[in-house]
Amino acid sequence: MSKLTLAIPSKGRLMEQTTDMFARAGLSLRKTGHARGYRGEIEGLPDIEIAYVSSSEIAAALKSGSVHCGITGEDLVRESMSDAATRVTFLKRLGFGFADVVVAVPACWIDVATVADLEDIAVPFRRAHGRWPRVATKYMNLTRAFFAEKGFGDYRIVESLGATEGTPAAGAAELIVDITTTGETLRANGLKILDDGVILKSEANLVASNVAAWSPWLRNAQNTLLVKLNAI
Amino acid sequence: MTAETALKFAALEAQAQTLMSVFTKAGHEAVAPAVIQPADVFLDVIGESLRARTYVFTDPDGAELCLRPDLTVPVCRIHLARHANPETQAKYCYNGSAFRFQPQGADAAHPREFRQAGIERFADSAREAAEAETAALILKAVESVGLKNWTLHIGDLGLFRAVLDAAKLPQRWQKNLGEAFLRPGAFKTELKRLTTEPGARSRALPEDLLRDLVPGDAEASEAALLAYLDSNGIELIGNRTAAEMVAHLLDALKDRDAKPLDASAAAMIESYLAVSGPAATAGTRIANLLTGVKGGPGAALDAYDRRLALLANAGVDLNRITFSAEFGRSLAYYTGLVFEVSAPGMPPDSPIAGGGRYDGLMRSAGASRDVAAVGAAIHTERLLSAVTGARS
Repeated sequence: MSKLTLAIPSKGRLMEQTTDMFARAGLSLRKTGHARGYRGEIEGLPDIEIAYVSSSEIAAALKSGSVHCGITGEDLVRESMSDAATRVTFLKRLGFGFADVVVAVPACWIDVATVADLEDIAVPFRRAHGRWPRVATKYMNLTRAFFAEKGFGDYRIVESLGATEGTPAAGAAELIVDITTTGETLRANGLKILDDGVILKSEANLVASNVAAWSPWLRNAQNTLLVKLNAI
Repeated sequence: MTAETALKFAALEAQAQTLMSVFTKAGHEAVAPAVIQPADVFLDVIGESLRARTYVFTDPDGAELCLRPDLTVPVCRIHLARHANPETQAKYCYNGSAFRFQPQGADAAHPREFRQAGIERFADSAREAAEAETAALILKAVESVGLKNWTLHIGDLGLFRAVLDAAKLPQRWQKNLGEAFLRPGAFKTELKRLTTEPGARSRALPEDLLRDLVPGDAEASEAALLAYLDSNGIELIGNRTAAEMVAHLLDALKDRDAKPLDASAAAMIESYLAVSGPAATAGTRIANLLTGVKGGPGAALDAYDRRLALLANAGVDLNRITFSAEFGRSLAYYTGLVFEVSAPGMPPDSPIAGGGRYDGLMRSAGASRDVAAVGAAIHTERLLSAVTGARS
């Protein structure tokens, strides 16, 4: 009988918090094979196989259906697919890995508090600098979808894979879209969040892939896991 | 289209040859711009919304490039490369592939790769004549390959600006509404703000800063802003300068003290936007709308009438032209006339051809100033399927 593959983060805080959560549900995770292997199992749930995957790749695995379920941030899932509603099902919010995806601008922009204000300044900015304001982010798709919904299109995205919050001060971008938990890093970099600039309040989720190969047997295994996690 | 038969390829090629010969006979020089273009020009011209539909990639040298999403910007770049003075008169035509990502999935009506045949005309100061000739030539071209029952749909951004002008809006409000025109939702919100509480936005601004600003004195106001930032421990960072912020703040200050826009002016703008119907009578309807308005859109209306007369002279049947004031809203870079050619049996979002005036595009592509420009492109796969569909 085939097993349900559950992808969980292979390192970092998210992995620790995931392991803790399983422990609180009375489930202990064990790596199989050699000690540094990428496979594991859950004691007492023989129908589930664990795949240790980096959290950003978990979203891709859910999207392609190469795993049945995964634990990862909602932000990463929504960023990696434009059709999340059809590709995956968010089974459970897990209460850790909190991160808000936000639009932040220099705090010295006293005249800008909302996306509508950004619209106001985009054309004069272009007149003065010969280009649209640049938005540094690794969340290109979330950014585009959010601004499109607000009717704001006069900007350029510059892809940023690290230290995004430093790009406005460095002159590499005018504003950013990034994740924050307390807002402290943003403040330290001279940035403020727009009043209507919260794109997504994200946390770790148990997510099921709708495009993986499912059977009633595997659905049953998924439900057994959910019952255990809901009992925490 | 991606999967095509040799037969269909041959049919498209034959159709393209006919189209191009109509264009070249009318004095348009055939050019063949590069398929791979610098991404910057497109993204800066069109903004991020089209980037999501453009195939952008980085080459091994790190340069950001794209597959051209249309051929108009590449033709502008050819013109600029040839002429130190961009205001040199020129007429070009082309036939080639363009590429657009289709977020809802590519299909026959919305292919990710399609061929455009089109014309561009630069620096012609006889504005309405250039516009009428461009539209008439596109109609002649589609007729020459067998599309007889077309309809032409036109809009006019010049008329819209003239109506704003006639409504006696301050420059900064005209600018706001002009920019919001492309986004119906934002337009409605902005018009409502202007007619109810133009100062609403300034309420979010710190009162102690507003008090220290000096209307009409940018320098003193900038000093006030810097003092405010300093006393609140806010560092000035980034590329946007204090002077730019001050200009925006002074506009907000003006708005705070401004009288709301007259309800009758807002009504006039809204009734203009509701005008839609036969092009031949739309001019009269707009003129009636503006009766009694001093300095109404005389010149813009004259241009509208002159353009129609020129189209009639060129043999275009005015009964087959419709006008709508709202048309042009989804098209980012047009500045005056906009038009679309449609064919019966084709879905409404799939026009056979489209074009118009875009005087600002050449500057975005690198010219030192605006250059008069009119052009249009035919979606050749759609044209072929409209023509063969009609025959079968």
